[in-house]
Amino acid sequence: MRRSGLAGQYLAIAAFAAVYLLIGWLVHNSYYQLIMTLVLIWATVGVAWNVLSGYSGMISFGHAAFFGLGGYTMTIAFVQFDITPWIGIPLGVLVGMLAGIVIGLPTFRLRGHYFALSMLAYPLAMLYVFEWMGFQEVSLPMKREAPALYLQFNDPRAYMALALVLLVVCMIVSLHVERSRFGMSLTAIKQNEPAASAAGINPLRWKMLALIVSAGMAAAVGGLYAVVLLVVTPQTMFGALVSAQALIIPMFGGIGVFWGPVIGAAVLVPLAETLNAQLGNILPGIQGVVYGVAIILITLLAPEGIYWSIRDRFTSRRAARVPAPSTAGAVAIPAAAPPQQFGHPAADGEALLSLDGISRAFGGLRAVDDVTLSIKAGTIHGIIGPNGAGKTTLFNVINGFLLADTGSIAFAGTELVGRKPHEICRHGIGRTFQVVRAFPRMTVLENVIVGAYVGTASNVEAERFAMAALERVGMADEQAQAIAGGLTTKQLRLMELARALAPRPRLLLLDETLAGLAHDALEDIVQIIRQVNRDGVTVVIIEHTMQAMMKLADHFSVLDHGKLIASGPPASVVKDAVVIEAYLGRKWMERAKDPVA
Amino acid sequence: METLKWPIIDFFQALSTGLLVGGTYGLMCVGLGIIFGVMRVVNFAQGDFMMVGMYVAYYLVTGFGILAFLGPYAGPVVGAALAGPIVFALGWLLHRFLISRVTGARVVSAEAEGHYMQIIMTLGVALVLSNGGLILFGSQPLSVQTPLSRESWEIGPIFLNQARSVAFVLAAAFAAGLYLFLTRSDLGKTMRAAADNPIAAAYMGINVDRLHRFAFGLGVGITAIAGGLIASSQSFQPYIGFDFVIVMYAGVVLGGMGSILGAFWGGLTIGLVQQMSTLILPYQLQNTAIFVVFLLIIFFRPQGMFGRVSERP
Amino acid sequence: MLKIRSLDVAYGGLKALSGVSLDVEEGQLVAVVGPNGAGKTTLFKTISGVVTPLAGEIVYKGRSLLAVPPYERAKLGIAHVPEGRQVFASMTVMENLEMGAYARRDRRRRPELLPSVIEIFPILAERRQQLAGTLSGGEQQMLAIARGLASAPDLLMLDEPSMGLAPTIVDTVFDRIEYIRRTHGLTILLVEQRVAEALELCDRGYVLETGRMILDGSHDTLMSNAEVQRAYLGH
Repeated sequence: MRRSGLAGQYLAIAAFAAVYLLIGWLVHNSYYQLIMTLVLIWATVGVAWNVLSGYSGMISFGHAAFFGLGGYTMTIAFVQFDITPWIGIPLGVLVGMLAGIVIGLPTFRLRGHYFALSMLAYPLAMLYVFEWMGFQEVSLPMKREAPALYLQFNDPRAYMALALVLLVVCMIVSLHVERSRFGMSLTAIKQNEPAASAAGINPLRWKMLALIVSAGMAAAVGGLYAVVLLVVTPQTMFGALVSAQALIIPMFGGIGVFWGPVIGAAVLVPLAETLNAQLGNILPGIQGVVYGVAIILITLLAPEGIYWSIRDRFTSRRAARVPAPSTAGAVAIPAAAPPQQFGHPAADGEALLSLDGISRAFGGLRAVDDVTLSIKAGTIHGIIGPNGAGKTTLFNVINGFLLADTGSIAFAGTELVGRKPHEICRHGIGRTFQVVRAFPRMTVLENVIVGAYVGTASNVEAERFAMAALERVGMADEQAQAIAGGLTTKQLRLMELARALAPRPRLLLLDETLAGLAHDALEDIVQIIRQVNRDGVTVVIIEHTMQAMMKLADHFSVLDHGKLIASGPPASVVKDAVVIEAYLGRKWMERAKDPVA
Repeated sequence: METLKWPIIDFFQALSTGLLVGGTYGLMCVGLGIIFGVMRVVNFAQGDFMMVGMYVAYYLVTGFGILAFLGPYAGPVVGAALAGPIVFALGWLLHRFLISRVTGARVVSAEAEGHYMQIIMTLGVALVLSNGGLILFGSQPLSVQTPLSRESWEIGPIFLNQARSVAFVLAAAFAAGLYLFLTRSDLGKTMRAAADNPIAAAYMGINVDRLHRFAFGLGVGITAIAGGLIASSQSFQPYIGFDFVIVMYAGVVLGGMGSILGAFWGGLTIGLVQQMSTLILPYQLQNTAIFVVFLLIIFFRPQGMFGRVSERP
Repeated sequence: MLKIRSLDVAYGGLKALSGVSLDVEEGQLVAVVGPNGAGKTTLFKTISGVVTPLAGEIVYKGRSLLAVPPYERAKLGIAHVPEGRQVFASMTVMENLEMGAYARRDRRRRPELLPSVIEIFPILAERRQQLAGTLSGGEQQMLAIARGLASAPDLLMLDEPSMGLAPTIVDTVFDRIEYIRRTHGLTILLVEQRVAEALELCDRGYVLETGRMILDGSHDTLMSNAEVQRAYLGH
C-alpha cells in the first residue's frame, strides 16, 4: 500500500545519519564543520515548517516567531537565571508550543492572503519588542568549569552531532505524522477543505495540532542555533531572512515530505555560505540573492520542489505498468452485503431527514425559501429544478456549510442546524461533491481512507471500512492500488462515492454524480447507486440528467426560485403543470393547450 | 492650564507630523493598492521597489548630480518624480519575464496552491532586490540632500518640517492626479473594470494580461515616487523595504483590499497611527502599534474602510 | 454570419460539447435551449475565446475565429452578455456602458451610441450615476444587455438572461430583447433554459442535451415539440 514501507524509511534515515556522521568525522576544517552543522539546523527548521505548511497547505511566512522565541527563552534562562541550555531548550519548546496555540487560534480563522500577512507580522512585531526590551545583542556566557553541562564544547563536531540528533528526531516525528491519519487528514484539508469537513475531518483541530508540533520543533532548533552562534540578536532570531529561509529551504527541496528540507538545506546552505565566504566582501548580501534566485527558479520550474520533480519522472515511467482498470461495462455488481455491515435497521418509510421551514438568503436574494420536506428512510429521493433554483444551496445548508436563516433540520432525532460539517458527518450523513479533487499521487485506497477516519479508532479498521466501500462501488480489485492521477471521470466519481460511503453513513447526499457521463458509464453508476440504496443507505440526489433520475428515484422534490413547488413520485411530478411551467415557461403550457399560433 | 498645555501641544504636533508622514504613506499604499486591486497579487517586493526608487532619486540628484542644475529645491522633487518612470520600466520588465508566468487570468481560477505561487515569487524578487541593492549600493545609509530637511515652518508652537511638508503636498498632488486618471481616463477606467471583474472585462475586449503588466509597473512606479519623496526626510539603506512592507499592507488592508483610492486613506491613517502612538508608546515601538492596528483590522473588519465584503481571498 | 461546425470542447475534465454545429444568419434571432449542464454556457465561452476547443471550426463573417485571441473578438463586433450579468459593481451605470463601448472606441461613435442605448432601457437613464452594484437584479440584467449593445455589435450573444430573476422581471427583459430585435434588426444568439420565452422570439432554434445538438428547427417546429419536453423532463 505505501510508497515505501516504514521500515524502509527508517533505514534511509539511519543511513543518512551514519553517512553524515562519517563525513563529519573526517572533516577537520572547523569552517566546514560549522557549515555542516548549519545545514542540519536549517534542515530542521525546514522540517518544522513542513509539518505545518507543507502538509496542510497553510503557508507560514512567519516561522521566525517560534524559532526566535525558542532561541530567546534559552538565552534568557541561561543569561538571567543561569539555567543550562539542556533545560533551556526544552523550555523553549514549551514556549514555542504555547505561542503556537496563542497565534493559531485567531489566525486560522483567516483565509489566503490574510493568513499569510498576519503570519508575516508576528515575528516582525516580536523583533521590535525585543529590541525595545534592550536585547540588542546578548552574548552567552562562557562556562569554563563545566562546559558540557552548559552545552558548550571545544570540538565543533559535538554541535554537529547534537544538531543531527535533533534533525533525526524531527524527521522521525515528521515521518509518523505523514504516515498517520494526522498526516492524511492534513493532506485532505490541503486538497479540498470543504470536502474534508464533509468527510468528518475537523480542520481546526488538525491545523492547530500541526502548528503546535511545528512551533515546538522550530523553537527547539532556535535554541540550538543560539547555542551555536553564542551571540543572539533580534535580527538573527526574528528577522525576515529567517522566515524566508524557513520557507525557501523546504519549498526548494520538496514540499510536503520530510526529505525535502534536507535536500534543500544540503544544496542551499553550503552554496550560500561558501559564496558569502569567498565573495562576501565584494558582494555583501550574496546569501540573500542565492535564496531569492533559488525560490524564483523553483516557482517557475518545479513548483513543488526538487524531490517531487525527480520522483515524478521516475514514477511516470512506472505508471505505464500500473494495471489498466477493467473496462467500462464490465463492472461487477457486488453481491448484497449482510445486513449488519451496511445501513442501519431503521424502519423503512419513516422520515429519516426532516426539513422544516428552512430559508437561506444572500443579500436580498432568497436562495432557499421556506422549504419543508421529509426524506423517508430507505428511499432514493431526487431534488430537481431549473438552474439557480437553490438545490446546491439546500445541500450546503443540510451539510452545515451554510447556516439556515430560519427553520430546523431533524436527522434521526438530532437537530442539525448550527452544527459544523464534520459533526454532521459524524452523525451519519455523507456527501459527494461535483468537482472531485483527488490526491493525485496517492492510490485510490489512500484517497478513500480519509473518509473512514471518522468513527474508526484504528487505521487498520479504517482500511477495512475503506476496502468495504470500494467493494460497494466495484473498485476493490487492482483499481484500489491505481494512482488516482490517472483515473477516468467515471472512476473518479466512483472513488468519490466510495469515500462518502466509507464511514457507513445512513444518508448520502449526492451532488451531480452523474453529470457529463456517457451512456454506459451512466448506467453503471446508476446500478451501483441502486445497490447501495438496497443495502440500506438512504440517498438524496441532485441531478439534471432527467432520464437517469426517472429510473433511479422513488420520489422527486422540485425546487424553483428556492421554493418547493411539487413533490411526489417521478412519473406524476414530471407531468405536473406547475413543474413543466417552471422548466419550460408559462408560454409553453399555454401553447400546449392552444396549439394555434 | 499650564500643565495641560504640553500634552495638548504634543498631541497636535504628533497629529501634524502624522498627517505629513501619512500623505506619503498614502501614496505608497496606493501603488500597492493598484497591484492588489487589479491583479490580486500580494507583492512582497513592493517595499524593495520603493527602495530602488529612493536610490534612483538619490543618484539623480546627489550621487551623479544629473539634476544638480535644477538647484537644491527643485532637484529632489524632479528626482522623486523621475524615479517613477524608471521603476515603472523595471516593474514592467519583471512582470513580463517572471511574474506573469505565475499570475494572470489563467491562474486566478486555479487551486489554492496556485495563488500562493505569486506571493512566493514576489518574496524571491524581494530578496534579490534588497540584497542586490546591498551589493550595488553598499550598506551606508544615505539620504537626498535638500536644505528643506533641516528647516521647519512654525505654526504657533507646532513645527512642520519643510521637507516633509513639501513631500506631503507633492504626494497629495500625485494622488489627486492618480484619482483623476482612474476616474476620467479610458485606461484608468479599464483598470478599475479589470479590478472589479476580470471576466467581464475580458468580454469587453480588454486585454487583461497587458493591463496587468501596466498595473504592476504603475503600482511599483507610484510607490517609488513616494519613496523618492521620503528620501529627503529620512535616511535609507537597501533593507529599508522590509520596514515598510507591513506599513503598506496595513494601509491597504485598512483602506480595503480592492479599493485603489481607499488605500490612500488607509495609508494616511497608518501615518497618523504611527506618529500618534509615540504619545503613549516608546519610540522604538511605533511600528508595533501599526502591527496591532493591522491585526485588529484583519480580525474584526477585514474589508477595511472601503473594501467589498465579498472580497475573494 | 456565424458558422459552427463539429465543435468538440472539453471543460472541467468532461466532454462538454460533442460535434456541435449551428448556423446564425444575419438578422436572425437564434435560440439555443437545453437543460442545465447541456453545455450552453460552454458554447458561448468557446465563441468568446475563454475556452479553446479540441476540434471543430468557428467561422465568423468568413474568417476563422480560432486564430483570433479573446480580447480581439469583441473588436470584431461580437458582444457577449455573460451569464449572471457580471456588471462592474463598483462603477456607475454610465461607466459600465463606457466599458461596453471600449471595443469600438476607434469608431468614435460613442456620443451617438449611448443615447440610443438608453432609449431602449429608460430605467437606466434615471440611474446613470448610480453604482451598478446597487441596482436590482432586473436592472443589472438590462445594464448588462445595454453594455453589450454599447459596442454597436454585429452579433449580440445573450447567456441565460432570465437566470435568477423573478418571473415578472423576466417578462420585461424578454420584452426588451424583442424590442431590440424589432427596431435594430440585430443578429442575436440567445441561450436560455426557459424554453418558451426563447423559442417564442426565435427564428431558428437548437436544442442541446448533454453536449450534443439533438434537435433543430424553425420556431414553429420546435414550439410544443414533445422532444424538447423530453430533453428537460425525461418524458
